[in-house]
Amino acid sequence: MAPTGAVAPTSSVRRGRLAGLRRALAPVSEARGLPKWVLYAGLVIVLGFAVMAIFAPLISPYHFDQYLNSHGQRFPKSGAPSGAHPFGTNIMQTDVLSHIVYGSRTALEVVVIAVVISMLVGVPLGLFSGYYGGALDRVLVLIMDAMFAFPSLLLAILIAFLLRGQFTFLGAAFSGIMSAAISITVIYIPQYFRVIRNSVISVREEVYVEAARVLGAKPRTVISRYVFGNVVQNVPVIATLNAADALLTLAGLGFLGYGVQPTQAAEWGYDLQRALGEASGGVWWTSVYPGLAIVLLVAGLTLVGESLNDLLNPVLRRRQLLPVDPKAMAAEDEKVAG
Amino acid sequence: MRKAHWRAGLAVTTAAVMLGAAACGGSSSGGGSGGGGGGGSDQTIIWGSTDKPVSYDPAKAYDLPSWNVIYNVYQTLVRVNPDTLKTEPDAAQSCDKSADFKTWTCVLKDGQTFSNGDPVTAQDVKYSFDRLIKINDPSGPAGLLKATGGEGFTVEAKDAKTVVFHLKNANALWDQVIATGAGAIVDSKVFPANKVLADDKIVGSGPYELKSYTPGQTAQFVPNPKYAGDLELANGGLVIRYYQDENALKLDVEAGKVDVVYPALSPTALNELKGKSDVKEVAGPGGAIRYMVFNLKTMPGDNDAQKRAIRRAAAYLVDRNAIAQDVYQGTVDPLYSMVANGLDGHLDVYKDEFGDAPDKAKAEQELKDAGVKTPVNIQIWWTPTHYGALSGDEYTEIKRDLEGSGLFKVDLQSTEWEQYTGNCLADKCQAYQLGWFPDYPDTDDYVANFYGSASFLNNHYDNPKVDQLLKDEQGSTDANQRTKDFEDIQKDSVADAPIIPLWQGKQIAITHGTVNGLADTLKPDYIFRFWVLSKS
Amino acid sequence: MARSSGSLPRYLATRIALVIPMVWILLTVVFILMRVAPGDPVQASLGGRAPAAVIEKQRHELGFDRPLIVQYGDYLGGVLHGDFGESTSSNRTVTSVITHEGAATLELTFAAMLFALLVGLTLGVIIGRFRDTPLDVAGRLFGILTYAAPVFWVGILFQLLFVAKLHWLPSSGQADVLQDLRLHDNAHTNIYLVDAIINGDWDGFRNVCVHLVLPGLTLGLLVCGVFIRLVRVNVIQTLKHDYIEAARARGISERRVVLRHAFRNALVPVVTVVGLQAALLLSGAVLTETTFNWPGIGQALIRYLNNRDYVMVQGIVTVFALIVVAVSLIIDIVTALIDPRVRYS
Repeated sequence: MAPTGAVAPTSSVRRGRLAGLRRALAPVSEARGLPKWVLYAGLVIVLGFAVMAIFAPLISPYHFDQYLNSHGQRFPKSGAPSGAHPFGTNIMQTDVLSHIVYGSRTALEVVVIAVVISMLVGVPLGLFSGYYGGALDRVLVLIMDAMFAFPSLLLAILIAFLLRGQFTFLGAAFSGIMSAAISITVIYIPQYFRVIRNSVISVREEVYVEAARVLGAKPRTVISRYVFGNVVQNVPVIATLNAADALLTLAGLGFLGYGVQPTQAAEWGYDLQRALGEASGGVWWTSVYPGLAIVLLVAGLTLVGESLNDLLNPVLRRRQLLPVDPKAMAAEDEKVAG
Repeated sequence: MRKAHWRAGLAVTTAAVMLGAAACGGSSSGGGSGGGGGGGSDQTIIWGSTDKPVSYDPAKAYDLPSWNVIYNVYQTLVRVNPDTLKTEPDAAQSCDKSADFKTWTCVLKDGQTFSNGDPVTAQDVKYSFDRLIKINDPSGPAGLLKATGGEGFTVEAKDAKTVVFHLKNANALWDQVIATGAGAIVDSKVFPANKVLADDKIVGSGPYELKSYTPGQTAQFVPNPKYAGDLELANGGLVIRYYQDENALKLDVEAGKVDVVYPALSPTALNELKGKSDVKEVAGPGGAIRYMVFNLKTMPGDNDAQKRAIRRAAAYLVDRNAIAQDVYQGTVDPLYSMVANGLDGHLDVYKDEFGDAPDKAKAEQELKDAGVKTPVNIQIWWTPTHYGALSGDEYTEIKRDLEGSGLFKVDLQSTEWEQYTGNCLADKCQAYQLGWFPDYPDTDDYVANFYGSASFLNNHYDNPKVDQLLKDEQGSTDANQRTKDFEDIQKDSVADAPIIPLWQGKQIAITHGTVNGLADTLKPDYIFRFWVLSKS
Repeated sequence: MARSSGSLPRYLATRIALVIPMVWILLTVVFILMRVAPGDPVQASLGGRAPAAVIEKQRHELGFDRPLIVQYGDYLGGVLHGDFGESTSSNRTVTSVITHEGAATLELTFAAMLFALLVGLTLGVIIGRFRDTPLDVAGRLFGILTYAAPVFWVGILFQLLFVAKLHWLPSSGQADVLQDLRLHDNAHTNIYLVDAIINGDWDGFRNVCVHLVLPGLTLGLLVCGVFIRLVRVNVIQTLKHDYIEAARARGISERRVVLRHAFRNALVPVVTVVGLQAALLLSGAVLTETTFNWPGIGQALIRYLNNRDYVMVQGIVTVFALIVVAVSLIIDIVTALIDPRVRYS
């Protein structure tokens, strides 16, 4: 049954090397209505945190491990919110607001590294495994399925445990971030692998791919020009959803004590662990604010991911309905007929 | 019709859930401090703890949480007197040593029985030691026995009542060793000779027996009806409730669901409980100490004189009071010696030498005199879980103390315990955190382990004078002579400051309501005696 | 474009046969992780107390310095006999931990799943039907927020409100001390709720229920959010199908369309949905159990991991792997039974 309204024509996409990518993401620019606002809301949140992360030294009132004020006096321990400390201080005698700001830096560093590496490993693996098939494909699928099914937090804990102290050559601050990032990376490689591989398998049977092969195109050309553009649509959605999940995993690691160490960087999950013991004593600012930060950033990323999914997933996508112009339709019909 | 079905289903489910919740909402009381009413000696004490005991079988236990139970369920040949800290008879009426300290003869008292009716014989004593060595469990105290008694020492059951120890080392303190949990006497008819026994099957001859046990959660102890020893019980039983999370334990002691909390909660939790009614703190002297070790080979400094100056400068700068007050909120005391306060021969040598407050001028002078370029780059290691969650804060404080003077630049590193000991005790760290917990309350257990050439520290501190003093005190039974030796050891080593003592822990217990007797058991020997506790 | 379809029995056989390599891979990965990291039980208990020579000797006597491959062979051999080994940091066997703590976790996850299904499925269907309305937005927001809030944070907030402030519920544990001992002494299945019913121990039943409310609610909320979002997507996809259009065209009311035609078909992948949450539940259980001192297998894992008790960790992780493999096997089988396109060619 035809839909009850004219369908807007797909906007013409500029030629060029990124034509595949642009075509893939075209629906985003066409978006209207609620999904668009949801997307914008999510983007605003994420960008807000990104700005906080990048400009942390300028935004934050103090350095995250600063415990002395300008007069050389120590900050209060678990002090209530006040003029000098809008979000109060925590049990380590550092400023909570500064931890929120610098924590966003840690969070985004870890998450970006983790997602990028897992993309860089998972996507090519999925591409080649899906395209070439064979024994290697079977083995990889087995390994990836095994890892995918396993509880992610536990895998991250085991790996973080193993990687502790292995990256000290990168310098104190970065080693903690690196080991947290790697332990999270491992969890998400199977996701990219799976989705890309499944896409590749369905795409490689398409007629135009077959035609290209028949015409003598090298596998590399086939993959990069025909296959890649059609499967890459899935990646942004997975990437943002992975980022959201990675953030929760990082917080979980920090909470259990396997994340970034406090002397290396500020981390929200670790702050929550330290705040637990004093929460029932009425000290709410050390647990509420870091928790809210996590919720906000994860929600923002999820909103972006979900709305991208709504927009890009052809099953869920709604095309824009334009008003019908009978005269234009008639003219069109004549042109086609005549 | 069909339309109604799902609605009805949902309604029924909702109703069921609500009914269930209502039924569940009933009991919020119940549980808590049970036990009978009536007189004090019938009461059951509920003890809440975040301990993680390894095993109630002595062959697999070398940790305090396990020994806390073992001391009450089993007898040893001799036990430590809480006031004198010397040994007195327990299962044995006498334990005598030979002149060369290598042969120890103990004679059992008459009539001692296990809780299942089996009599305690010398054969059981021999069996207990033999199986412990044979099983050689990695978590057990075989290492302690072999180190103190000498590899290959033997136990002989001369007759039904006489036990003879033939040691390979001349050890004047063997009675202290067999008074620990390693010397617990087990029933040879129940415990297998080459395997560890499951916790819920243990049988001992001590004042309590294990009645019921949920692994890792709850253990219920009742007075042993067959106990033939001379200890008097002030209560009718004790239940241990093990908690994974101290937050939950804190809430429960506030609510009165536990009577005693020991070992104490973290300083933050203690602070929060300070104002609450019905909740009291009881403190006693502890023997656990914390210190920072320098590895004389890997630490910064071009020669011995420079290294010494760096250590002394650090000793001048460390602010023990800040650590004790800000980090640990007064639950620990600053420590000025590698011998715990309260033990024989303790002197505050580090206070005498370096003062009790940071002295930047003197530190600067030390470094200048030795020609050390400042700031000194030093890497300090600590470990996150083994020594408590506040280790990070403690070493952050030390970093702040050292860097605040402008003389040092500190790089803090941490790693998990197993890797930590593997690294730092193998010349991979410049300076590192360690703690000590005494096996038995004798000063030798401290100094021999820190300064002797056989010390586990492996920090390359070599002081022949101290070695000689150690030999003297170990070979002597003259109390005055030993005290003087201990004092000399401390005085001789402080100037080199190879180790910087930081603090000594207090033993703190928390009670809800009135629990008596804690003061009688919170002693430097770290033996938690169930039998002195009572509720009113 | 459709692949050639093999036969159902062939698919089932292959799928079941694949379980073994999957489990083997997971076991090997865990073994490597635990052994490659430095440290062993001897180091853990004697390190920092005894001289290095003594530690080395002890390690040698106990075989901890044998080549990895030998230890690996030993380990696999043991597993095949059902002998997962004995804990080095506590006096328990792996089997004992799995049966006792595992039962506690089962209780918790069951309660959480019940809550998540009731609330999540219902809400998911409702907001899927009313897509892009304020109700949809609110529902999706709820779904996202419950997923975004770290489960341990939610747990602590609950404790603050219901325990510290209102004193309605207990803060931790599976039951109070006396009930706990009683239920343990009279255990049949080790699942306290079931045992209490079998014993007719209504006081114990009530006590366990009361303790189950907060942890179950906390974990349930986490999974509930995921359900809402997944079910919503399923409902939306289902509502696009031709037969829905047909039903609408025939004049059936929207509500009947949703409930009678779409609901059932949208819920068909529920088994998949529920199964996919197994891994999430296990991860969430670890955090929830730690927060509420629930004596389950997740919290046991963390404890033994901290003690470097790798015998125990291996055993617990093996059990997790088996659960996960079993669940994914069931999902795949059910999906294959329903969807004829899923086959091996």
